[in-house]
Amino acid sequence: MLFIELVAQGLVQGSIYALIALGLTLVYGLLRILHIAHAALFTLGGYIGVLTTNATGSLTIACIAAMIGAGIVGVIIYRLCYEPILNQPPFVALIASIGLYIAFEEAFRILFGAAGLTYNAAPLQQQVAIFGSLYFSQAEIMVMASSVAIIAALGYLQSHTRVGIACQATVSDPQMAESFGIRLRTVRDLNFFVGSALAGFAGVWVALLNNLVEPTMGSVPSYKALAIIVLGGMGSVPGTLMASLVLGVTESFGTVYLDRWLDRNAVAFAFLILVLMFRPQGLFARR
Amino acid sequence: MKALVAPSKMALALAFAAAVAAPSAFADIKVGLNVPLTGFAAADGNSAQIGAKLAVEKANAEGGVNGEKINLIIYDDQASAKEATPVATKLIERDQVVGAVSGSYSAATRPAAQIFQAAEVPYVVAYSIDPSVTRTGDYMFRVSSMGEVQGRGGAKLVHELGKKRVVLITLKNDFGQTLARGFKEAAPKFDLDIVNEYEYDIKDRQFGSLIARVKADNPEVIYASGYYFNAGPLVSQMRAAGITVPIIGQEGYDSEKFIEIAGPAAEGTLLVTSLDRDSDVPVTQEFLKTFRETAGFGADMVGASTYTAMAILIEGLRKTGGKGGAELRDAIAEGTYTMPIGELKFNDLHEVSKDLQVQVVKDGAFHRHSVLHDPELLAPPTKDSK
Repeated sequence: MLFIELVAQGLVQGSIYALIALGLTLVYGLLRILHIAHAALFTLGGYIGVLTTNATGSLTIACIAAMIGAGIVGVIIYRLCYEPILNQPPFVALIASIGLYIAFEEAFRILFGAAGLTYNAAPLQQQVAIFGSLYFSQAEIMVMASSVAIIAALGYLQSHTRVGIACQATVSDPQMAESFGIRLRTVRDLNFFVGSALAGFAGVWVALLNNLVEPTMGSVPSYKALAIIVLGGMGSVPGTLMASLVLGVTESFGTVYLDRWLDRNAVAFAFLILVLMFRPQGLFARR
Repeated sequence: MKALVAPSKMALALAFAAAVAAPSAFADIKVGLNVPLTGFAAADGNSAQIGAKLAVEKANAEGGVNGEKINLIIYDDQASAKEATPVATKLIERDQVVGAVSGSYSAATRPAAQIFQAAEVPYVVAYSIDPSVTRTGDYMFRVSSMGEVQGRGGAKLVHELGKKRVVLITLKNDFGQTLARGFKEAAPKFDLDIVNEYEYDIKDRQFGSLIARVKADNPEVIYASGYYFNAGPLVSQMRAAGITVPIIGQEGYDSEKFIEIAGPAAEGTLLVTSLDRDSDVPVTQEFLKTFRETAGFGADMVGASTYTAMAILIEGLRKTGGKGGAELRDAIAEGTYTMPIGELKFNDLHEVSKDLQVQVVKDGAFHRHSVLHDPELLAPPTKDSK
């Protein structure tokens, strides 16, 4: 029973990681940029979610607002920060991204206060019983369900629609893709928009699960998402999902059996190191 | 005969010389404060800063120190050792403070303490409860009960609640671990059964797996350490998961933010702390009122202890007429103080010995539950003790 509960908790956590890591893998897959500032969009989504829900009482409106808001800011980040330095070595973009993330963190603190915000009346807190004695809050179920749905949709889009294939083409051969009429900039904007919207969406749910949004809430996801995309095979959407879930479950067990020696993040990275020692290309690398 | 230098220039030069050479009766009395104003601990730093400023404003309104104004110099240390070291150095060498207060966490306070001790500048620590702080030297003072003392108080509270089976949930840092140490030390005295202990990281907000194990342990009471951003989610998630046993927290919970985050789940949470909201001591009530008016939110333990630390430093300065060094150190050490966090007197290790307040969250606010009075159990270490 305990075993099943721990697995279940791991899957909830893993679903959240998947939503965040997906955006990162989309950006990496497209532009080979390690977009640390992605986590700032996660936090932004959280803030928009809380503020909108508190103002309107509707979580649905909040999700939409957060996704659109984060998506737009994501595109702005691409245009202003990454596009000008696309032909520089990758570490330039990485450093710019880290600096941008730090700036965002402080901006959130200055704008919204250091203590963070909470929902006035957090929705979806009701406990629901699955399989008899396994309890989840409605919010936890929503996170898992939406995570799976979104990833399935994305996977389908990537391989079965013109847009998706166009995206893949811009990665393999940008010049050829352009000569076929695919506008690189549009593909990239779209990519950042979708990835950032996902992070924003994740932010709304994490803020709901904790009833707290803080300026620094993206600090751990910022580098953990990187670890996940490495684990999943950089750029692979199904790989990222699997890696997220595996990491979530590993952390779930690690935090309650190894807690005397390793905390949650130490467990995560110990796991990453172990995997990479035996499979340097990641757990679920692209064929 | 003609003057060697034009009279106007001479006058100017004299005036300049006079201004520069003016006796320090015109200079303010400078005291320092290190607080985390940015980073993960910024909320506590903000409260601490407000507390310190209130103490300085009150003193200045009453005439300062022998008529001279107290100048409070504040630096951000991000609750980090790396940032605290240059901050302490700056306060001593550039700002030349006569005394300082720590409004920060142990990680920052410990290195700063070393620097203040070496420079023989009295350093009054507000809420960092790591034992090594006062062991650094005799220029260190601490106004909060040490971690182990508070932990022992927690064990006594469990006993007074009539419970035996406890699960400990410990924050993996100086704060949480010293509390747990004290609890475990006193537990045998009350015949408590510590079923399990779980440690978690300060950045954790999701405790699902931990809660699953606690449910399996089935304790009668839970002693959980953490700051409001851990405790809020933790308590909320525990109650949502169906855990109904009493939860005992400590000073880290002592902030209205905890109640805000945990919402209705916060009801009934017990805190072992030092700020009694229902106190009838005038100093306490006045402080609570002024803090709320200034800050816009209720006082928390961090604000109250930093206010206290600053107020004690100022009282010491009043006795020495603004002088620092050994004279200030001795003046602070000899005093007895009536403060919002209790009647304080320092022992030879410059630790305080006092009762602990137990507060309970009722109707969305902190109220008095009981007082832990046990001078023997709650005695702080002395210079000679281990």
